[in-house]
Amino acid sequence: MQAEAVDAVIRGLKRAGISVVCYLPDSLFKELYPALDADPDIRTIQVTNEGEGAAIAGGVFLSGKRAVLIMENSGLRAAVEHLARMGLGAGIPVVMLMSYRGDLGENNWWAIPHGITMEPILDALRTPYQVIRHADEIEQAIVDASTWSHTAYYHSAVALSGEIVR
Amino acid sequence: MTETTPFVKPEHGTMSRYAAMEALGRRLDDALVILSLGGAVDEWYSAAPHMRAASLFQQQLGCVTGEALGLAVGLPHRRIVSLDTDGGLLFNLGIMATVANEQPANLFIVVWDNEQYQSIGGPKTHTASGRVDLAAIARGCGIANAFTVDTLDEFDAHCAAGLAATEPYLLVAKTDGILEPGIKRKHSDGREDKYIFVRHVEETEGIVIMGPSEHN
Repeated sequence: MQAEAVDAVIRGLKRAGISVVCYLPDSLFKELYPALDADPDIRTIQVTNEGEGAAIAGGVFLSGKRAVLIMENSGLRAAVEHLARMGLGAGIPVVMLMSYRGDLGENNWWAIPHGITMEPILDALRTPYQVIRHADEIEQAIVDASTWSHTAYYHSAVALSGEIVR
Repeated sequence: MTETTPFVKPEHGTMSRYAAMEALGRRLDDALVILSLGGAVDEWYSAAPHMRAASLFQQQLGCVTGEALGLAVGLPHRRIVSLDTDGGLLFNLGIMATVANEQPANLFIVVWDNEQYQSIGGPKTHTASGRVDLAAIARGCGIANAFTVDTLDEFDAHCAAGLAATEPYLLVAKTDGILEPGIKRKHSDGREDKYIFVRHVEETEGIVIMGPSEHN
């Protein structure tokens, strides 16, 4: 992941008022996780699966603080159950930032399912999202997703792809 | 050092969950509660009526203790109580490892273990075999204060300790699986419950969580 993209993510989180990050580490965001852990303004919580991360982020919302769930897009599949119940059942929002594994240009066979399933799952969950491929658009995309989720009380997502994560 | 010998499963649980809820409710004042699905929802609604607005009634298998941890992290000065279940906790055992690593000082987890998926008619859960020991799993994850009880006196004593603890405390309550007869059904859905709970948090914390729009 580009260094300028790591900085842009952290700037975006802070502008959005996000103080808690739940994450399950992945390879494309490898440089992001230690930077988040090291940031004194951000509480990181490493989780055992992304559904658990969604639940914790939902709890943080209920406390009046703001959280984000950061993961590879494959984590969306693990989180569908929790996202559907919290979002559609109760209106408890989760803001998600995910790496776009399996986008055009992917050269790992095992990552192809992640690309094929990500957007249909987001659509099935009626979750608006942006795919960002340039680092200078990251900060605003995170702010916009968080603003929308805390207005709609529903999930939103930003997926980072292209040169950002190569 | 607290006693942590393995729990020996009796043939049948004999503790009434409703009576245990009444005992826990008597110890709660300004705590926030998140609870699981099934019969426990209506029982808690009736057993601890003073806690209705302070309780988030969720129908979310596998979300309950995760949401409680998020609340505990967001409100570190407030006592948070997770009322989870055997089926709910088995759905995501990993949350116990995460709780242990995060070490919230304000999180008390009660696991109502009736060894069955009661809300769908009572098929057994894995704890019914007698081999699966949720408190031992919790201790193995690093939650040192994890216990199993099957009497009301023990339950109440552990509630006192768990609500005063400054590290995570998990209590597996073996119950008889008998739904309290004649209790009032809760009418609200998950969305209404969320608004009630959020407004209660806002009022008691003096904060705004779901505030007004920029323009009317």
